[in-house]
Amino acid sequence: MVIGKEVKMRLHTASETISFAKELEEKSAKFYEDLAQRYSKDEDVLLSYAKENNKYFTQIQRAYYSVITDAIEGGYAFDLDPDDHTLDTELPEKASYSDALDKAVEIEEKMIKFYTVAADQSMSLMADVPRNFKIVAKKRKNRIQQVKSLA
Amino acid sequence: MTILEEPIKGVPMIKNYIDGEWVESKGDIIDVVNPVNCETIAKVGISTKEEIDDAVKAAQEAYPDWRATPPVARARYLFRLKELLEEHFEEVSRVQTQEHGKTIDESRGETRRGIENVEVACGIPTLMMGEFSEDIASGIDEYLIRVPLGVFGIIGPFNFPFMIPLWSAPYAVATGNTVVVKPSSEVPCSQSKIAELVDEAGFPPGVWNVVNGGRTVVNGMLDHPEIEGITFVGSTPTARDVIYPRCGATGKRVIAQGGAANFMVIMPDCNIRGTVPALMTSFFGNAGQRCLAGQNIIIVGNDDKFYNEFMDAVTATTKGIIIGNGLDESVQMGPVRDTQKKETILNYIESGLKQGATLRLDGRKAEKIVGDYPDTCFLGATVMENVTRDMKIVTEEIFGPTMGVMKAKDLDEAIGICNENPFRNADAIFTSNGKDARKFQYECNCGNVGVNVGIAAPMAFYPFSGMGNSFYGTLHTQGKEAARFFTESKVCIQRWL
Repeated sequence: MVIGKEVKMRLHTASETISFAKELEEKSAKFYEDLAQRYSKDEDVLLSYAKENNKYFTQIQRAYYSVITDAIEGGYAFDLDPDDHTLDTELPEKASYSDALDKAVEIEEKMIKFYTVAADQSMSLMADVPRNFKIVAKKRKNRIQQVKSLA
Repeated sequence: MTILEEPIKGVPMIKNYIDGEWVESKGDIIDVVNPVNCETIAKVGISTKEEIDDAVKAAQEAYPDWRATPPVARARYLFRLKELLEEHFEEVSRVQTQEHGKTIDESRGETRRGIENVEVACGIPTLMMGEFSEDIASGIDEYLIRVPLGVFGIIGPFNFPFMIPLWSAPYAVATGNTVVVKPSSEVPCSQSKIAELVDEAGFPPGVWNVVNGGRTVVNGMLDHPEIEGITFVGSTPTARDVIYPRCGATGKRVIAQGGAANFMVIMPDCNIRGTVPALMTSFFGNAGQRCLAGQNIIIVGNDDKFYNEFMDAVTATTKGIIIGNGLDESVQMGPVRDTQKKETILNYIESGLKQGATLRLDGRKAEKIVGDYPDTCFLGATVMENVTRDMKIVTEEIFGPTMGVMKAKDLDEAIGICNENPFRNADAIFTSNGKDARKFQYECNCGNVGVNVGIAAPMAFYPFSGMGNSFYGTLHTQGKEAARFFTESKVCIQRWL
């Protein structure tokens, strides 16, 4: 958190940050589901990404539920601007598959940034939660390579 | 801003759970009010003496069979309860927020710590193991068995409606006793929910009972000859003047945890970035309504530059605390439990000001309540400077979102201030100097010590300690001490002729 600075409309609490992570994962999953419909060539792999997103969120939520105690500064664990991490998943109707994959890489990079920043901010407070943020960020880095190889 | 769905709907009647049955109380019915909007969310009966007697009778009748159930089998009931609590984790957390007002992060933290106690109690086959000495004399062996005692009464407070009865109940039943739980009548919904899950877990009827109510139920427990012991968490006057002496008079075991007025000692070498959030949680978490909350900070040394830098950071962050409905995920502080408690807190602030304290931040009127709720039970965070050791806001428990700021010339003086306080529940030091931290831990006579931790809340496998006016009894709740409290040592000396 930023000390000595009054901020508004930012994410401070663990609860809202975990919910925000869920929003991002769901939005990204929806993006891959839409992609799978439009580009049936790689339907299976694209749908597997959507499924993985749900797994990632479950992993993070489980970590949060496992370590949250009222002794931990859960209400003050983060200072995130949601606007910095909002995903643009819109794809023009005439977008090529290559354009779509570029968009996927862009989404993955934003997700990695979100998890990395959130992990850094909560490192000393939330025990297992930042570790799981980092694990998900790492998995997404691997996914970027996979997405690029689909092109 | 996401407001989570309220789990309690339609103003249910909270019933007693006696002998495995849900029974509506014959006593007066009162409202359970959500302090956020002052709406009635449930109704609960103030049970009569006959009803507490019924519950004790059921617990007493269930005891022989339950005692004879092997500890490993009793633990399996608790494993099932633990699974059910995990399954209902979110629901029970939201119930706490709805009936108490605390934020959802705080409620989930409370749920987790409650479940941790069930987990630790699952280890009862090990925790209640006896001892054996072969050949204490030629051909004679001696051994010790930990045996349960019978029926225990568990009296819960309003500030942790879910967790605190779980500091005791799982250990009591795991060791083979049976229990009657009395939740605070202000917040009875959480214990009712736990009883539903106890029922679903298949505990035999009478092993775990819940009786709602007030003084009549407490008196009924204290006077009942068949209750072997009581655990209580609440105010110091009740712990000291009612629970402890009356348990003594009737030969009951007792754990009576009272109030607190804790100090956070700030050394000039502390890590400000890490200290300030810890102080926010300590002073303003649960709207200050917890016995481990900080009440006053003591800034050590005469370094004005450090003082100003530190207090600027504390004040600015405190000003930014988001106040509102705890089910709004962005909210960092909810209301206090009711108007009477709010009034008490306001009176303490006034007394501080009359005795010479000055307001750095005035939270007497909550401003900017997210969601435009009435300010009936809301307070802002108050910071008072120029606080001295003789003031009532130092020597008495406020139990609200206030922070007093004191100064001490050195660590010795700060420790002296901590130790002269009649309450000695939990004090903490914030420093990067290991020697000072060790000196504080060694010399500070309180039950729970924090080093760079604002809420020194013992994990379930450690006792929830306390000293001075914060604790009356010998053994504490949680972990091995709880297992010891709920059992008696039977020593057997054996020779075969």
